[in-house]
Amino acid sequence: MSEILQRINADSAQAVARAHQVLVRVSSGRGWRRGAGSGVVWSTDGLIVTNGHVVRGEDYVDVWLPTNARHRARVLGLATNYDLALLKVDAAGLVAIEPGDSANIRTGSVVFGAGHPWGVLGAVTSGVVIGVGADLPERPDNGQEWVAVSLHYRPGHSGGPLVDVSGRLIGINTMMAGPNVGLAVPAHIVTRFVEKVLETAAAA
Amino acid sequence: MALEELSNALADSVEHAAQSLVRVEARRRLPATGIVWSADGLIVTAHHVVTRDEDITVGLPNGERVSADLVGRDPHTDLAILRAHAEGLTAATWADLDAARIGHIVLAVGRPGTSPQATLGIISALGDSWRAPSGGSIERYLQTDVVMYPGFSGGPLIDVNGHALGMNTSSLVRGVSVALPGNTISRVADTLVQHGRMRQGYLGVGVQPVRLPEELQQELDQETGLLIMNVAKGSPAAHAELLMGDTIVTFDGMAVRQMDDLLSALSGDKIGTEVPVTIIRGGEIREAAVTIGDKE
Repeated sequence: MSEILQRINADSAQAVARAHQVLVRVSSGRGWRRGAGSGVVWSTDGLIVTNGHVVRGEDYVDVWLPTNARHRARVLGLATNYDLALLKVDAAGLVAIEPGDSANIRTGSVVFGAGHPWGVLGAVTSGVVIGVGADLPERPDNGQEWVAVSLHYRPGHSGGPLVDVSGRLIGINTMMAGPNVGLAVPAHIVTRFVEKVLETAAAA
Repeated sequence: MALEELSNALADSVEHAAQSLVRVEARRRLPATGIVWSADGLIVTAHHVVTRDEDITVGLPNGERVSADLVGRDPHTDLAILRAHAEGLTAATWADLDAARIGHIVLAVGRPGTSPQATLGIISALGDSWRAPSGGSIERYLQTDVVMYPGFSGGPLIDVNGHALGMNTSSLVRGVSVALPGNTISRVADTLVQHGRMRQGYLGVGVQPVRLPEELQQELDQETGLLIMNVAKGSPAAHAELLMGDTIVTFDGMAVRQMDDLLSALSGDKIGTEVPVTIIRGGEIREAAVTIGDKE
């Protein structure tokens, strides 16, 4: 048998390892209302990106870093239209995600989604980019940009990283559109969101 | 890096196929996909996504929208041919299906919107000729595990070179991703372009399968034949003096055991030719000759 599949497996494992380095667990609420999702380490000094719906309107949430250390995180900002939230934990020297070229990701290219579906920690799923932009099958019809992928997102994937073959961030796993289309918020939208929240915070 | 090479190769395949990928607006709500068959505007798509015969629009790879006419359709193979009012298109390149193997990587591509969309899978099953539930005779069985997204019907199933292996359709077999192979498309498209419809040979009999008498089973080496229940007036069968109560056992040199055998023998290309028929009448084997008609 040719070596190509072994090489692809080794490369996949490497991309997944990079996603795992920045994957966190986010938990909000109390008791039976307690919700859990995923998040991505955005900066070495403790900025975390996740989905707005994972935060559930709380001001503080619990975050488990990749080291499994638990931190109290402050919610710095929310974008309801893109379902994003920016969190801050008091930590330093973290491994941060490297944003990829999500605006130019090619249809058909390979991607990996990481998260904690149904509470399974660090689970990874792989597929391809179905399409990018606002013109997609079964999309929410509001003109927003998405990366559509052939992944089956499940509860707990929300807020986790969607990475390319080099482990760079393509998007934030957000929701299913129809039974077979996963939608992620493109990384360039996330970058814009984080910049805006930090500007607003600095101005205040 | 092998994975990056693979990922880029997949995107390259999509890009190549997208040059011949069009949007077909011929039904309400969601548009579907079509494949450029010839540079002068012939488009192949799925019959079931063309719900109207007029007011059809095709969205070209360069973003242009042009009107198109329905050339013909074959519900039995779920194929429709359109003529888009455009020239200088890039016709799809077709792969040799004989080189395809179970386990090979394939992509389904579609263009229900303006930009191409794609998804990945492998060839799950390959087989010989078969007859679809809708009655169409199809040259090869080609099944994949690709997920058919809304609007992907009528688009190509492509190999890793971006060459088309077949046309994806969600309605040939429900719940299974089966593609219509290139050689079936070629055969049906040729007939539709030439005649505007599929031609089917006509005999003019109503039949049902029956078990043959024991001694004839041995002599003919077949257990069943088709009992003629009625003969249409003025039909080819009437001219050949076939009678109600006769049992057809061979047709055009082929054993006739069930309905499918007779339907296969009455293909469109046999129209107008005289073929031998073996029947059983009153317990005796007889020969006749019938000139196959055209089922309008």
